[in-house]
Amino acid sequence: MKVKVRFFARFRELLGTELIAEVAERTTLPDLIQQITQKNIEGYNAIFDESGHFREYVIVMRNARRIDLEDAEKNIVANGDDIAIFPPVAGG
Amino acid sequence: MFSERERERYKRQMMLFGNEGQERLKKAHIFIAGAGGLGSPVSLYLAVAGIGTLTVVDRDVVDQSNLNRQILHNDNDIGRKKTESAEEKLRAINPDITIRVIDATIEEKNAEKLVGKADGIVDAMDNYPARYILNDIAIRKKIPLFHGAICGFYGQATTVIPGETACFACIFQKAPPKEVFPVVGVTPGIIGVIQATEVLKYLLKSGELLTNRLFIWDGMQAHAEEIRMERDPRCAACGSLFENYGDKQ
Repeated sequence: MKVKVRFFARFRELLGTELIAEVAERTTLPDLIQQITQKNIEGYNAIFDESGHFREYVIVMRNARRIDLEDAEKNIVANGDDIAIFPPVAGG
Repeated sequence: MFSERERERYKRQMMLFGNEGQERLKKAHIFIAGAGGLGSPVSLYLAVAGIGTLTVVDRDVVDQSNLNRQILHNDNDIGRKKTESAEEKLRAINPDITIRVIDATIEEKNAEKLVGKADGIVDAMDNYPARYILNDIAIRKKIPLFHGAICGFYGQATTVIPGETACFACIFQKAPPKEVFPVVGVTPGIIGVIQATEVLKYLLKSGELLTNRLFIWDGMQAHAEEIRMERDPRCAACGSLFENYGDKQ
């Protein structure tokens, strides 16, 4: 099945604007993003912490709805999902 | 009531929102937290629009490295307090409004007093701890918070109406790490002008505010996007405002 993943701001510079990922059944949302980013160390480290969890300030949206990062692994991705990953910016 | 000079000054925008709208702006008091990259366009555009009272707070002095983006200040201001420089420029650009400046660091202990009786807070800060403080004050005083932030060619903005919409802490539950951010002046220019537009719409009671939406700007792609945001019923900052409503939202 196919899932669209979109990156924003700095994640976009590291990982590209968007991609369509081919994923296996029963893949969790964090697993999907780890699979996509594992070959890009900088990109991976920007999104995940040392223990492989989403960094706590990252905003993850699935089909326009915010994902609670504490329960991220409960999200099993489905065909046609639109995942958006966004790092808040801080400057002013 | 407007003077002849004010009528002439605001003629072209009174075509949009009339005498009544201009009166609303004149009666308003907006608090601008920061006179830097975002604070420059925000304060300049709110000043020329005729917001009756602007309070601008900043703790820094003007540095040469500020001048690629902080368009309130110029080479002659290097070493001066940003508040002093801001006051001079804003008075010059519109002598028909009241400019108040406060040379201070925004902290939990002084923020409520600094904001005073303002009708709204513009977040033109460069760090999340100060933003959480401003969000708390906005909630306590039930006045809007107009958020903006930038990094490089990227920017974000949202508007918070306490008790009605997601607040800053609902959207940004955890602060990103502090960093020296790269920036080119056009980005705070764009985001600051969006914040100023939100202030005007709020005061004029017209249009659709940028509430429950995070506006995201990518200058390199010339692409804007928005992410829908929702109030977090467990939010430590604004949750109490919604207690009477149960879980209706």
